[in-house]
Amino acid sequence: MAPSATETDTIWSVNYDTLKREKLFRNPPTDHTAYPALAASIRPHVDSFNALFDGPKTLEEALKDIGTKTFLDGDSETPEQKKARIAEGRKAPRRNRLNVRISEVFLEKPALPPTNKFATRNRNIYPSECRERHATYRGKLRARIEWQVNNGDWMESVRELGQVPIMLRTNRCHLEKATPHELVEHKEESEELGGYFIVNGNEKLIRMLVVGKRNYPMAIIRGSFVKRGHTYTKYGIQIRSVRPDQTSQTNSLHYLTDGNLTFRFSWRKNEYLIPVMMILKALVETNDREIFEGIVGSASSEGIKNTFITDRVELLLRTYKAYNKHSRSACRSYLGEKFKPVLGVAADMSNEDAGTEFLRKVVLPHLGCHNVSETQDYDKFKMILFMIRKLYALVAGDCAPDNPDAVSNQEILLGGFLYGMLLKERLEEWVRSFQPILRDWSNRNSGARFTDSAFERDFLSKIVKRSNENIGGALEYFLSTGNLVSPTGLDLQQASGYTVMAEKINFYRFISHFRMIHRGSFFAQLKTTTVRKLLPESWGFFCPVHTPDGAPCGLLNHLAHKCLIATSDIDVSKVPKALVQLGVRSESSVSVEESVTVQLDGRIIGYCSPRQAGLIANTLRRWKVAGDDRIPVELEIGYVPNSNGGQYPGIYMFSQAARMYRPVKYLALGKLDYVGPFEQPFMEIACMPNDLISGVSTHIEFTPTNMLSIVANMTPFSDQNQSPRNMYQCQMSKQTMGTPGTAIDYRTDNKLYRLQTGQTPIVRSPLYNAYGLDNFPNGTNAVVAIISYTGYDMDDAMIINKSSHERGFGHGTIYKTKVHGLDEKDSRRGKSRREITKLFGFAPGDQIKAEWRATLDEDGLPHIGAKVKEGSYVAAWHNVRYDAASDSYVNVDGVTHFVKYKDAEEGYIDSLRILGAESGVEPCQSISVKYRIPRKPIIGDKFSSRHGQKGVCSQLWPAVDMPFSESGIQPDLIINPHAFPSRMTIAQMVESMAGKAGALHGHPQDCTPFQFSEENTAVDYFGQQLRKAGYNYFGNEPLYSGITGKEFAADIFIGVVHYQRLRHMVNDKFQVRTTGPVNNLTGQPVKGRAKGGGIRVGEMERDSLIAHGAAFLLQDRLMNCSDATRSWICRDCGSFLSTQVVASAAGSRASRIAAAKAASNQSAGSSEKPGGMAALVRCRRCAREAVFEDSRAVLWEDGDGRRYVGGDNVTVVAVPGVLRYLDVELAAMGIRMKFKVEN
Amino acid sequence: MSREAYQVPSNLGGSQNAFGGADTGASGGAASLDGPMVAYLCGECNSRVSLKRGDQIRCKECGHRVLYKERTKRMVQFEAR
Repeated sequence: MAPSATETDTIWSVNYDTLKREKLFRNPPTDHTAYPALAASIRPHVDSFNALFDGPKTLEEALKDIGTKTFLDGDSETPEQKKARIAEGRKAPRRNRLNVRISEVFLEKPALPPTNKFATRNRNIYPSECRERHATYRGKLRARIEWQVNNGDWMESVRELGQVPIMLRTNRCHLEKATPHELVEHKEESEELGGYFIVNGNEKLIRMLVVGKRNYPMAIIRGSFVKRGHTYTKYGIQIRSVRPDQTSQTNSLHYLTDGNLTFRFSWRKNEYLIPVMMILKALVETNDREIFEGIVGSASSEGIKNTFITDRVELLLRTYKAYNKHSRSACRSYLGEKFKPVLGVAADMSNEDAGTEFLRKVVLPHLGCHNVSETQDYDKFKMILFMIRKLYALVAGDCAPDNPDAVSNQEILLGGFLYGMLLKERLEEWVRSFQPILRDWSNRNSGARFTDSAFERDFLSKIVKRSNENIGGALEYFLSTGNLVSPTGLDLQQASGYTVMAEKINFYRFISHFRMIHRGSFFAQLKTTTVRKLLPESWGFFCPVHTPDGAPCGLLNHLAHKCLIATSDIDVSKVPKALVQLGVRSESSVSVEESVTVQLDGRIIGYCSPRQAGLIANTLRRWKVAGDDRIPVELEIGYVPNSNGGQYPGIYMFSQAARMYRPVKYLALGKLDYVGPFEQPFMEIACMPNDLISGVSTHIEFTPTNMLSIVANMTPFSDQNQSPRNMYQCQMSKQTMGTPGTAIDYRTDNKLYRLQTGQTPIVRSPLYNAYGLDNFPNGTNAVVAIISYTGYDMDDAMIINKSSHERGFGHGTIYKTKVHGLDEKDSRRGKSRREITKLFGFAPGDQIKAEWRATLDEDGLPHIGAKVKEGSYVAAWHNVRYDAASDSYVNVDGVTHFVKYKDAEEGYIDSLRILGAESGVEPCQSISVKYRIPRKPIIGDKFSSRHGQKGVCSQLWPAVDMPFSESGIQPDLIINPHAFPSRMTIAQMVESMAGKAGALHGHPQDCTPFQFSEENTAVDYFGQQLRKAGYNYFGNEPLYSGITGKEFAADIFIGVVHYQRLRHMVNDKFQVRTTGPVNNLTGQPVKGRAKGGGIRVGEMERDSLIAHGAAFLLQDRLMNCSDATRSWICRDCGSFLSTQVVASAAGSRASRIAAAKAASNQSAGSSEKPGGMAALVRCRRCAREAVFEDSRAVLWEDGDGRRYVGGDNVTVVAVPGVLRYLDVELAAMGIRMKFKVEN
Repeated sequence: MSREAYQVPSNLGGSQNAFGGADTGASGGAASLDGPMVAYLCGECNSRVSLKRGDQIRCKECGHRVLYKERTKRMVQFEAR
């Protein structure tokens, strides 16, 4: 029945579908996944990676942008040389040109290296192997490099550029189109989604990042602009111009106090400023009149009356006169001359060409960055004119600044695109790096030229080979650390934190990683909270509920579950023509009353009157929803109407990648329309049918739950909860001990949590099934009584029924995988056969003790199922030396060493992997051991319902003493009624009723929010069901005390609630000590649970204890359990440091023996009374050197044999060890501490 | 070590093969220096791969590079608690 002819059903409802799911489990579909919604949720990641090589072929565009790099041989002449040469009238020395370009880049699927001759059947490396071997899932990157000397023939070669990590289930992964059946064959989850990388066995993903909306000039008022320089003001306009290869270049215009404008950009992390007029004149052959009319409007237009603008434009034109550059070529030459060194163009390029190159690369590259045509330059010209207009409007207060924190001005930087940007940059740097190597080559070969025959021979072998060709390594570094090492900065604001580990604590956590959007780590340090605010613009794009509380609150958002992200540009080639038909013309005026702009992806199509603009926007929308083939339905038509000082009006259309968009219903046609964040604030989208306003509303939401993220949608009846509780639930559901997957056997995560007894919730929404969450159960349905019983449910504690516990309620397991390697530095590089110095196993010839064999097998590795506790041996190894004669390893010392299990908690060996190398020729150098640690719920473990109501288990209460109902039901859990009044989690009570009714009637309950209202309440709906089942309408029941057997005076609310066990368990947390490890220097207890330290009794705790007068407790905590030491001190001089142990109490042998005896007494009793005959310790400072007359009896001798008399008034005091240490430190600085010793 | 763990009747330092009888013959004579032959399971084709000390880690059948240790044949018994 496995390859059933019928297609796999992808329609899901709220039903349990037990049989359907069972069949899916037994026979994973061979056509497609049964959960398309789940697969769609990670598409942005996979599709953006796919776009690198397929579809838009982003990388191909990148190669075009890199272009041809030209290198010259010989030395460039210094200005003096040049002057001398020109004076002599000689021609410039001819330098040979070497042109290098990358024509193609190939990325192969992961496969074994050719050195491995052993694999015969299948040379592919699959992701599961990389996880198991703690290796990286990567494929070989190759590039075809072409070069030519002067104008000779192009020669080509294919270079290998290392191994690049590959995103799972993309077009460079073996599992791209794998069906669930094939996925299971390859040890994956049947619903494996991909979208992440495997780096050193860890699953890493590039998280999505918020960046400014592309190709839209944003008006910005920012105080920091003033710091740019003299006369700078806070006004500016900024456009993030994105090239077809998804790299971006930000161009800004700044308003100066005198009305002038400067163009600012950043190139290779340096900022440059240019008068905007120079850019305008360099772009096209123009004149002052054209520029004036381009900004202000023609002489007959309204704009000419706006003296604010005309004054400033006049000034703009007038101040530029100082440069005396008028023609296009003069301006380009001037720019080229200035920017030649930073652009990295060939030294012999003419200034004008360099200027052209500069305009291509830096100025609005989205309008043309490859073979820029005249029209494209004119587009750039018009765009800058528009930016000037908008900037003047901003300064004049005619338009409001755009909010860079609102989603309407944002887009998403996708992982795949960032990866492509990085790859492009690495490739460009690689070619650039030839320059120094070429010079070095030339110098070494006594000034060799490119035309020499040696060059042809040496180019690949000596020059290219010397360059750093390990691009794959750079990308692997990026993924494993998240650090961006970039000479250009990639137009991004942060240098680290791009990647995160895709933790599979449970499935919610895992899937959330792919839906999360970070604002950027720059904003995390910002003291203002404006960036964190939830803005109404975010509606439907970012989930308002699903953001963590605490430090990343509001910066780490999650996509609403219906929000899509475009990963490729849509075809809009017919849109401009349609617009022209609708009456868009090219004449314009600075007055927005007269003409407003019409832009498509940052290109000005034309202008029209404000009245026309509204009509055009409406017509376009109708066309696009109706399915007109000229206007794609995904096109975003941002119509900004004219307003009184609002956003700058116009029609701004966006069709490109990295945009968010979401489905809504277009009312006029009753069909699907996509809206984007830019257009949404100016649209009338009703949420519910009763929000519709006749004649105003144009759209309606398909369902209000579309605005919630996947995880937020799983909170039952979340509309009836106080909103922070829903936030807490989103947080907690991601910390639940659940089911990370079904392929647990093949996973090697450092730590994996698993709930043994997961159940499907009775109360769930249909989305629960649509996202296939029953494959990853996350909790248990528990009978919960809300009653204050025994007092052990105070303060969010909960009582678990001991019998439920024994039946497995909340039982879980932790799997820990540890790699035990033999090589010290954990170097994963392969070693040659002879370098190996250690092998697993008992040393040959050494006798094997029976106790060793308690956990170890005869191969020196633990046997599966062995119980290990702290200090148990988990592997044996011995030293070896390679013996070439016998081609074997010999052990000489015959000593067996062991690897020990270090954790304090007992565990079992769950599985053991012996890891070979890719080459297949290495003996075993590392093993991967998976330990299983059973964790049944114990007192102190954390649980929570699905409503942000967490609690700690306080007792496992015997079932006989639990209250019981009339039908004999006992609660699994008891929680305190005080958990509700202040938190107002009404939904939990509704869930309790719904769960109870569902359990009684045997059907699942739909808990989609927003389906009940004040007139039609949830309580009534479920109350009726309860009454039908013969229960109290409100869910209350008479309960009988388990102890007395008497009925409680009040009826108790009892129902069925889905409970989650959180991964925070006391066993990972408890931290107690009396004695333990201490700090070497101070003698005080160390800090840190992992090191065996205790919780610090800090200043505030100390204050509290003082206030309570708990002197003995203080003494115990701060002295006796800390660094109490007994120390000698001199009563006379009050010093610790001058006391010293006497080497000998007197000269004679007899007295020496007596002294020794006294000393032993002293140390034994350690209650020596100073002044006695046989004192062992004397104060050197209070003693004087002995003279001849001194009696032998009072003499004492130090270690050097010098004799002293006196200094015997010493005693022992108990002091903190650090006090002595402080004394020593102060003494070193020449400060003496003096202590007065009483009695 | 543990009081509860099943103790192997130890005959002379464990050179007795506690594993299945499949490779006892091989490990009898030559094993003194190179250690015993122990069978592992291939992670790809699930075939049994016998390896001794210092052998290259790969499946003899398919060349796969991850081998699993077999579940022990020894009695594993713990006091249930």
